[in-house]
Parts: sequence; C-alpha cells; structure tokens
Amino acid sequence: MNRTAVAVELRKTRRARVVPVLAVMVIAVVALSSANLFSDSMRADLSDPSAQPWEQLLLNHVVVAAMTSPVVVAVLASRQVDIEHQGQGWTLARVCGLGPGQLCRAKALVLGAVLTLAVAVQSALVAGAGLLAGVEVAFPAGMWARYTLTLALVNLVVLFLHLWLAARVDNQFVGLGVGLLGAFYAVFALLMPAWVALALPWGHYAAISPLGTGPDGGLAAVTPAYGVLVPYLSAVVVLFAVACRRFDRAEEGPA
Amino acid sequence: MSHVITTEGLTKTYGSRTVVDGLDLRVPEGCVYGFLGPNGSGKSTTMKMLLSLVRPTRGEISVLGRPVDHRTRHELSPHIGSLIEAPPGYGHLTGRENMAVVQRMLGSSDRQVARAVEIVRLGEHMDKRVRDYSLGMKQRLGIATALARDPRLLVLDEPTNGLDPAGIEEIRELLVSLADRGITVMVSSHLLDEVDRMASVLGVLGRGRLIFQGTREELFDRSVPDLLVDTPEPERALDLGLPAVRGPGGLRLSGFDDAATADLVRQLVHHEVPVHGVRRVRQSLEEVFMDLTGREGLS
Repeated sequence: MNRTAVAVELRKTRRARVVPVLAVMVIAVVALSSANLFSDSMRADLSDPSAQPWEQLLLNHVVVAAMTSPVVVAVLASRQVDIEHQGQGWTLARVCGLGPGQLCRAKALVLGAVLTLAVAVQSALVAGAGLLAGVEVAFPAGMWARYTLTLALVNLVVLFLHLWLAARVDNQFVGLGVGLLGAFYAVFALLMPAWVALALPWGHYAAISPLGTGPDGGLAAVTPAYGVLVPYLSAVVVLFAVACRRFDRAEEGPA
Repeated sequence: MSHVITTEGLTKTYGSRTVVDGLDLRVPEGCVYGFLGPNGSGKSTTMKMLLSLVRPTRGEISVLGRPVDHRTRHELSPHIGSLIEAPPGYGHLTGRENMAVVQRMLGSSDRQVARAVEIVRLGEHMDKRVRDYSLGMKQRLGIATALARDPRLLVLDEPTNGLDPAGIEEIRELLVSLADRGITVMVSSHLLDEVDRMASVLGVLGRGRLIFQGTREELFDRSVPDLLVDTPEPERALDLGLPAVRGPGGLRLSGFDDAATADLVRQLVHHEVPVHGVRRVRQSLEEVFMDLTGREGLS
C-alpha cells in the first residue's frame, strides 16, 4: 500500500462528510434495532431467559443492518470516488505519479477503517441499549462478537465492489441504485434459503445472521456457512486487487 | 539550440482510426511553444503521450533528454508540470487544501507551494472552497498545481478555455513570465490570436499531422498572402485573362509569390494598364492557420 496515497486520501476525506454520514447510520441502526426494547410488552421479558431478549435485539440488529448498510456503503464509496471524476483527480494523481488503482486501494483502506470502526461502535451501542433498557439475562458475547466481525467483513467486500463500480461508471446514480437494490436483496434474503443469500454479495448481510428459527418456533443459534463465506469474501478481495492493477495499467482514467 | 521535447514518428491509433500520425516535434528550451490545431486534430492526445498518460502506438518521445515510458515516468514527473483538459481541483476542499494534496503527492516543499501560489496570484482566495471559484481561478489553481514542483517544462492543454478576455490576458502574461524565468511552456489552443501573442515557436496540427513547425515569421513565409493591385482600370487587366477578382482599389490575386508578382507587373505595364501600387494583404495568424489546415475551421 502506497503511504502517500493513503495520506492524500485522508486529506481528501476531511471535508467529505464521511463521519456525519456514518454517525447518521449508527444512530439510525441503534434506534431502529432497540426501539421495541422500551415498549411495555418487552419490558416484562427483559429478565426472562426464555423470552430471549438479547437474541431478539440481535435479530433486530441483523435486519436493520441488512436494510441500511448496503445503502450507506454505496453512498460512501460513490462520494469518495466521485470527487476524482469531478475534480480531474485521476489525471492529477497520474501526473504526480499515483495510478487510479493506487487511489482506489487507498480509498478502500481509509473508508474500510472508518466503516469497521462505525460497525464496532454501532454493535456496542446496540448492546448498550439492551443494558440500558435493563436486560438481565446473560449477554451472548461470543455470538455478538462473531456477528459484528462478519458484518464488518461483508461491509468491506461490498465497499470494494462499490468502489470498483463508482470508478468504472462515472454516473454515481448507478452505484447508488445498485446499493438500494442490494438493500432490498439483503432483507429479502433473510426470508429465503441460505443459497439465495449466498448468491450475491448483498445477500451475505443475511447469510451472516447467527440466529434462525428453532424447532419450537423460537430463535435458535445457527452457524453461518463460513465455509462458503470466507472463500467468497476472499475472492472479492482478490478481484478488487486485480481490478486496481488493471486501473493502474489502463490509459487515462478508470471510467 | 537544445530541445526539451523531441518526438520521432509519434503515432497513436485507436482501432483503425489514426489520431496522431508520425509527429516529429521539436520544442526548444525556454520558449513558449504554441501547439495549434482545430478541435479533434490530436493536440490533447499528443500532450497525453508526452506525459506518459497515453501509450504511443509507434514512435519515440524524449523529454528533458530522457525517453518517455512507464519506467521513466517517476523520474521525469518532478520536472514536468501539466494541465490536461479541465483544470484539476477538489471542489469540496479549499484552494489551500488542494495545494496540500498536491504537495503531498509530489513531495514538494512549503516554499515551492507558496511560490506557485504567489506566481498565479491566488493567495487571497486560498481559504475559499474550489467549488466557489470562478473558472479563471480554477485555471490559475490548476497552473499552481503544475508549478508546485519547480518544473522545467509546463504542458498546458487549452489553459485559456472558457476564460473571459481579461482572464485570457492574465494567463497569457503569466505564461510569458514563466518562459522568462526559463521554464519551457508548451501550450495548446485553438484561440489563434491568443497563441500569436504569447508563443515564440509554433506547431500546427491538422488531422493528426504536423503541418508546420517553426517561428511565427517562418509560418507567415509559408503562406503567400493575396496580392492587391491598385489600378483605375481593372477591367482591362481582367481582359488579359489574369486569375484575379475585383478587389478594393483594383484587383485581388491569390497564390502569387514574389517571382510571379514581378511577372504580373511586367505584363500589366507591357499592356499599358496603369498600376498605381502593388501590395500584399496583411494576414492574421488565423488566416494563415486556416490556409494551412485546409479551412477545417477552428472548432
């Protein structure tokens, strides 16, 4: 990774409102995920292990994250790449010795870091909302941590896809539209068999859910298909690296 | 005379379409080189090849005595400033922040950046966001980014595009002053009067080929201006079968070089046609350019 490209990217990010966009996402996800914690009907279940209050809260988090994350990732990627299209940044960087692929990798690193941090904060705040509401049953820390980690990974993969798309297609409505469709697909995949969720990257927001329906109709812990997820996610990372290399070798800009 | 840029048979084709065809450029050191041609004649593609942004299909390029390819790009880039197509600038950042981005990419010093900003006289607008800049200010910022490395060569593609007359004059003065400082400036334009006033050497491109290269005087010598013959009896002259039309004060004839002019005068005097004067039409650079490019037009 080129340190100059990363340093330059950080300077460009300063006024790009990345932090406000992520703050809105985190607040929205926490609010929507924990809204029913404070309802009268739920209050009675907060100390009842059979009511699975933490599992209910985590499932809400899964649904809301699947709904919002694809859109937020698309917005961030598109904003960060569009400044290059609008400001002749690809050419400027090239004549200064930085290829478009190097810029895209730097964007992936910078946005990936803040996005991962946002996911960690978001997940902690959702758990904090449960504690604040007075959930008294034991906190499923392992399940919570695994979901947070896989959510961050899926976000990164979708980010790579959107960065590539935003660089290739200078009309940013395309990327935003894809993000919106991705959000629909992610939510839809929650209700569909696992292979549907695994078919497209956006479906992985559903595939990483650590909860399913048990034989009694209640929530039961399930193990996401890591055997498919990990190679899939790795393949996208490799493809992104290859695409960036091609950007560097191509004449003129990536679009 | 040493040349900062030389090309040999520089050619670029896209599929079956040849955009640049066998250019042999010679850009002398320390001059303003005006690179002229109608839109689509291959100026931008040529400049991109000089900057290693586009790979030539055939031919050789040497800049500052070094061959240009992807291996020498890093070696040459600190010495070449450029402005290709639209001026660069991140709209959401201030002018100062944009210069900081460029400074980081080039590894320039604070002194180099301050000097570049001072040269383009943008100092008082540096804390304004670039999206609020006028086009002229954006052009000046673009030139400042090109100057931020103390370049020996500036390659500027239509730097006066979209500017009002005052803005054009400002950029013109700036480029002439840069050449006075020893920086070689290669500037493309289709605003011929503009180039006429700043360039000491011209290259004229038409349909991807170099039609002319040399000084302004050499360019005018290449094109023979029309001849005006002052005579009170143009009809008698026309009866002699001369390839002439009626013009102000007499006749107007095209394509008569000095020897042909002498023959013409001799013929008129021999047939006792009164000749009060013979002079050439004063040509603008635009007329010469139109003549050379086969009247392709300027845009």
